[in-house]
Amino acid sequence: MQNFRIAFAARIGFLTKALGAIAVIALLVVLTEPKARAVPSYSRQTGLSCATCHYAPPELTPFGRKFKLDGYTFTTKPTVSADKKDHNSGLQLLEAFPLSVLFDTSFTATQKPQPGTQNGNFEFPQDASLFLAGSWGSHVGSFLQVTYDSQGDHFTWDNTDIRYADNSRHLFGKPVTYGITLNNNPTVEDLWNSTPAWGFPFVSNNVAPTPSAAALVNGSLAQDVAGLGGYGMWNDHLYLAGTIYRTEHIGGPQPNPGTGFAFNIRGVAPYWRAAWQASTENNNLEVGTYGMHMKSSPNAIMGLTDSYTDWAFDFQYDRTIPQFKNDVLSIRGTYIRENSSLEATFAGGGATQARHHLNTVQGNAEYHFGTRVSGTVGVFDITGTADPLLFAQGTAITGSANGSPASSGYIFNLSWWPQQNINLSYQFTGYLRFNGASTDYDGAGRNAAANNSNYLLARFVF
Amino acid sequence: MGKRVEGKRENQCNESSRVSHSQALICLIFLALASSVRAQSDATKAYAANCAICHSANGSGDASAGKALKAKDLRSPEVQKISDADISDVITKGKGQMPAFGSKLSADTIKSLVAYVRKLPKK
Repeated sequence: MQNFRIAFAARIGFLTKALGAIAVIALLVVLTEPKARAVPSYSRQTGLSCATCHYAPPELTPFGRKFKLDGYTFTTKPTVSADKKDHNSGLQLLEAFPLSVLFDTSFTATQKPQPGTQNGNFEFPQDASLFLAGSWGSHVGSFLQVTYDSQGDHFTWDNTDIRYADNSRHLFGKPVTYGITLNNNPTVEDLWNSTPAWGFPFVSNNVAPTPSAAALVNGSLAQDVAGLGGYGMWNDHLYLAGTIYRTEHIGGPQPNPGTGFAFNIRGVAPYWRAAWQASTENNNLEVGTYGMHMKSSPNAIMGLTDSYTDWAFDFQYDRTIPQFKNDVLSIRGTYIRENSSLEATFAGGGATQARHHLNTVQGNAEYHFGTRVSGTVGVFDITGTADPLLFAQGTAITGSANGSPASSGYIFNLSWWPQQNINLSYQFTGYLRFNGASTDYDGAGRNAAANNSNYLLARFVF
Repeated sequence: MGKRVEGKRENQCNESSRVSHSQALICLIFLALASSVRAQSDATKAYAANCAICHSANGSGDASAGKALKAKDLRSPEVQKISDADISDVITKGKGQMPAFGSKLSADTIKSLVAYVRKLPKK
């Protein structure tokens, strides 16, 4: 007992010293006013700080939404230019090449280790990205990302949105901005942070297990499709967008044989989006709907198809609070209903029935203390048709003993930006239910809470 | 076997036909949109490219981006009473949250923008 007390006292002493050292370092960083602005390529192009476009990256302010809507082309910096004249083309090239770099390093620990593996893992880096992000001309710009993934030990194509935009038109006497987008992820073209591609959580680990079931439009097709679409914003209120997608397997052979890939789009998969926004000086509200329809043949390009239709609703409200030095409160939510008819999977023995549905609810509230600190609480809930073949039984960690896709939980995130281009985050993800149950969900004795994770991230963007 | 090959070709034809129909539909929608919108004169291009993002097409600054940044209503007496030289100076050097455009825009373009701002209350 005395040994325990000595050990306990020593541990407390060590913790006190460690916390003291961390507090001193933190205080020094907080008290040191950043001398450099965030300098990713959009910032270099516009001469504006990151905070002009982001409450906190990647959350867009109204100006950030307008910058994206206008095709990432707004610039205040010198360009190499020539006028369009007679039968000669014009030119407008940024003098500064729009290249940016992102470096993430992280530490992740789950409540209980995944059997046969160590718990508490550093990733140095977790990933690193190169961005070609900026104006390509007077009406064309890009957000283009390639990412090195340390687990795969290779670079791969990441989120991409290349767009043409024209903001100089009027329709029914009101200003209209319209454009064309080439992108590789449904909702990546969107302007709000209530839809999946840019939704909460804004950072996440790639170590802890995640629920098996996800709706199609909720990231299942990210970077696995290529789409051509159009969008328009009328009178700063009504936003309409639509894209048609075809399968484009990164790393897969061309022409696509379909084998080895869960989704092979037959024909085209249409994505649609409609949103209404209203704003005052300190309030911004958006309500909208989006969705997608896809027919796909798993592991094939012919024969029977699986059919999916996703209907989704979302909202976002940002409230700037002048009494608190313009702190911002953001509240966002989305509901996705997926109806599917899995004829091909059923015929292939991968499902006990053809018809399924999946409901996804996600909501979060975030408070931004200036541009330096933000705290977010989010909840999520997934329910749907139980199917012991579709949601595999007998697989430890990733399986579901009762064949149910049901998962629910909460996420707490605290982020600190000592400079606008440096992000230090802590995130806790807690599960109330995982792949169908809270206890022994995989039939191998693992509880949902065993997948709870603590995640520390340091992100540098320059 | 022959039938299966034929069926495969038919299937591929149908699929490529669906793709081309969809692409044609998208093109038609955009052509229709482009033809229905009213083109602005060349004189407004510099304003649309550089100023409208915050100050709105009509100068009011009442779009969401302008409201959030508290952009001035360029039609207001408060702005219109400022001298040409001072407006030119603000465009060139920036002021408050407004960035400087002096390294991008020529003196002639800035002069034309000042003239454009003067015309905004009459539009």
